[in-house]
Amino acid sequence: MKRTLILNVNGQEHEVEAESNRLLLQVLRDNLGLTGTKEGCGIGVCGACSVIVDGRLVSSCLTLAAGCQGKKIETIEGLAKDGKLHPLQQAFIEFGGFQCGACTPGQIMAAKALLDETPQPTEEEVKEWMAGNLCRCTGYYKILESVMAVVNNKIDPGFAFRKREQSAKIQSLDVYKAVAKTH
Amino acid sequence: MAKAEKFSVVGKRVQRFEGFDKVTGTSQFVADIQLPGELIGKVLRSPYPHARIRNIDTSRAEKLRGVRAVVTAEDTIKRPWGAFFADQYILSVGKARFVGEEVAAVAAIDPDIAEEAIDLIDIDWEPLPAVFDAEEAMKEGAPLVHDDKPNNITMTMDIERGNIAQAFAESDIVVEDTFTSMPQWHCSIETIGSVAEYAPGGKYTIYMNTQTLFNARYRIAAALGVPETDVRIIQSAVGGGFGGKSCDDNNALVAAVLAKKAGKPVKLINSREEEFLAGCRPRVFMKINVRLGFKKDGRIRAKHIKVIADNGAYSAKAPAITGVAAMRHDTCYKYTDVKTQAFLVYTNKIPTGAFRGFGNPSAEWAVEQAIDLGAHALGIDPIEIARINAAEAGYVSPHGNRVTSCELKQCLDMTEKMIDWKAKRANKAPNTGLGLACTVHVSGKRHFGDYDGSSATIKLNEDGKALILSGEGECGQGVHTAMCQIAAEELGVPVEDVEISRADTDLTTFCLGAFASRLTYVSGNAVKNAAANVKQQLHQQAAEMLEANAEDLASRDGRIFVKGAEGKAVTVADVARARLFRHNGAPIVGSGSFDADSVLPDSTRFGNESGAYNYGVQAAQVQVDPETGQVRILQFVIASDCGTVIYPLGAEGQVEGGLAQGIGFALTEGLQFDEGRPVNPNFSDYRIPSMRDMPLLQHAFADSYEPTGPFGAKGLGELNMDPTAAVISNAIFDAVGVRIKTLPITPEKILRGLREKKPS
Repeated sequence: MKRTLILNVNGQEHEVEAESNRLLLQVLRDNLGLTGTKEGCGIGVCGACSVIVDGRLVSSCLTLAAGCQGKKIETIEGLAKDGKLHPLQQAFIEFGGFQCGACTPGQIMAAKALLDETPQPTEEEVKEWMAGNLCRCTGYYKILESVMAVVNNKIDPGFAFRKREQSAKIQSLDVYKAVAKTH
Repeated sequence: MAKAEKFSVVGKRVQRFEGFDKVTGTSQFVADIQLPGELIGKVLRSPYPHARIRNIDTSRAEKLRGVRAVVTAEDTIKRPWGAFFADQYILSVGKARFVGEEVAAVAAIDPDIAEEAIDLIDIDWEPLPAVFDAEEAMKEGAPLVHDDKPNNITMTMDIERGNIAQAFAESDIVVEDTFTSMPQWHCSIETIGSVAEYAPGGKYTIYMNTQTLFNARYRIAAALGVPETDVRIIQSAVGGGFGGKSCDDNNALVAAVLAKKAGKPVKLINSREEEFLAGCRPRVFMKINVRLGFKKDGRIRAKHIKVIADNGAYSAKAPAITGVAAMRHDTCYKYTDVKTQAFLVYTNKIPTGAFRGFGNPSAEWAVEQAIDLGAHALGIDPIEIARINAAEAGYVSPHGNRVTSCELKQCLDMTEKMIDWKAKRANKAPNTGLGLACTVHVSGKRHFGDYDGSSATIKLNEDGKALILSGEGECGQGVHTAMCQIAAEELGVPVEDVEISRADTDLTTFCLGAFASRLTYVSGNAVKNAAANVKQQLHQQAAEMLEANAEDLASRDGRIFVKGAEGKAVTVADVARARLFRHNGAPIVGSGSFDADSVLPDSTRFGNESGAYNYGVQAAQVQVDPETGQVRILQFVIASDCGTVIYPLGAEGQVEGGLAQGIGFALTEGLQFDEGRPVNPNFSDYRIPSMRDMPLLQHAFADSYEPTGPFGAKGLGELNMDPTAAVISNAIFDAVGVRIKTLPITPEKILRGLREKKPS
């Protein structure tokens, strides 16, 4: 049976009609058109559907929408404010923290949940926390580098998105070539 | 030989073209597309590995409220289709041959109704004897998967180059062993999906996440029995490809059949379980016997390889993959006498197919361990064996592969230095060992007709910015960014002034798509040629404006100037407008194409299969816990020869991501079957590596230049998936003396090996 739910998503109240058994993932995508949250496995293992509810990271594919009434839901769509990217979003572009991008909204939300609570995690803490967000493209090195760039305040203050050559170079090709040429 | 060139855009750390969309969640993947009136499709799949369909009754499903179409094979033309051999149907005709095969499908107004309707389809099944193992399937009297394929043999190969008997007779030592690989699933985070529409005039439009649009169009048109022009494929954002989204499965076809019958758009997205059962075609399972003959000084004198490959129920790309497994490695070292025998065999399991590496990971798992066996038998350092035999530019393999650039030796030097090979070997800690393997891959492969080309069009807008129209298709790897860089470099404009279109078979020209590590090389050359054509038109117009000869002009940073008098200049935007807004005006549009200088292999598979060959070396130091059998990778190093690096962030990503899939292939990934039924088709039981599983990594690109590549570039994508499992296994052997011959390498197998070594 359908019921009316009031959901606060990214600071906005939405009234939606949904069956009681609808998952938060389905309501976000199908009722609210917030398709940035992805379904990867449907069983809460891969983290692609990660969103933040009242400050806690949850798998929206295992969360009933009805249980989220009266709570603050944050999704990837709420991160950029006034045309300015969230530092994590910027870092993922600067440091190549994605390839296909299907897991990326979940990766960024997971990292945000961590940094909101622990702004200065160690690399090991990040690895432990982010182990619940699978990625099949990157091998995770650049995801880790992106998150650590925010932790260590290494992101470019003069950043403008898209195709601009970056000044920040941690793992630059030049470094590799230097290694290569010292033999 | 390596050649340093100064580039202004190529090789720079530019941002990913689609970066903003990817990090804000606005990138539109196929499941994110919603068309007005769209219905949801669901598939009824065979619960049996092999069963005859006596009857299908869809009447109860059709009567369910909200159901708009129910389809079976009767709604199709029942024409078999497939990449190399036409052997599969859109929906089962007569019988089903694996668990998960598409038998019927439903389109309804919501997913719950579609699911309910599936349960209301009544099928009268007659289960048949089934066969699950390739060697069993080849035996006399085994159940036949396809009635017209005796002994279930899909294809055989038996090729000898040189004189193998004499070569083994002249060898000082001979090593031989058998290695088996597991099937591996692509596990792209986005599953395969389609949204199909049918216009009553006769045209299908399919939005899909394929990595090979025009091949998809060709196969879909053939299976639907319509001309290619009546099928339009529009690519959504693709959430990972790795070969799995190269249209060897039925998803788009089922969606198209449903859309036609329902008269409405139909969305059909695989669940994760469906993806494991019958979505992307997993890596071909292989059992490989290798016999190598060496001279005392370490030279490989003879190689004999026997491959038994499990095709699954339908062939997809397995015939080509088996050929790669049997022959590709012969381009890595300087082989002279080789013999290769292969059987590709049908079984009642999921059809296997293309996955990053295309047969090469299974082959290198076997051959690079056999090389290691040889090194130990000879008492020569494995890195020296590799050095002694390494291919070089100018090498022609026994199968006719012509190597135009090769920095394998440089990669060995770099690897040796990065991991500190000599010192670590000299000071070996207990239960700690070093392993190494070399790898080769192609930059494109000539096997779809006598063509391994690409084409592109570049149109110049009146603001001077360029748009590349390309049908090759980005699948997440970042190739669109590399294309923009190549065009910008050739045009002499900033990379910000170049954009690239979505791939669309109606709007872009013919392209084969993303496979065989071909895009940077093949499509890069086509884009470069298109840009050269645009530049020529620009210079012609600019010459008029500058009162100079076109030959005396050059372009840089969006300005066209007279060489030697750089102040005498016009902007690209000025020229584009001047060419358009005048009598007999016209927009500037340039086209380019490229077809690699390769040869379609003949009936004995002789012929230079690719325009360029990429090389690499991987090495690892591992530590084995003798109590638990656990393997810890202490350090991993990789050196890659991909020619000029065009897009560094992307190239590094290919190396790192390839390694992750290689580690998964080596240590954790393997779908278990019970009577043909996958028992772990989900992410909790089929374990792909997580961030915690990745080792310390150092990697480097060789100083390299491919003379036939765009600005010296060649392929990279598959190279670093290929050797990883062998590297880890060789390192485990060095650590504890246990040789693992079946994938995945589990603690149980290591413990068993340790026990067998020391009987107590």
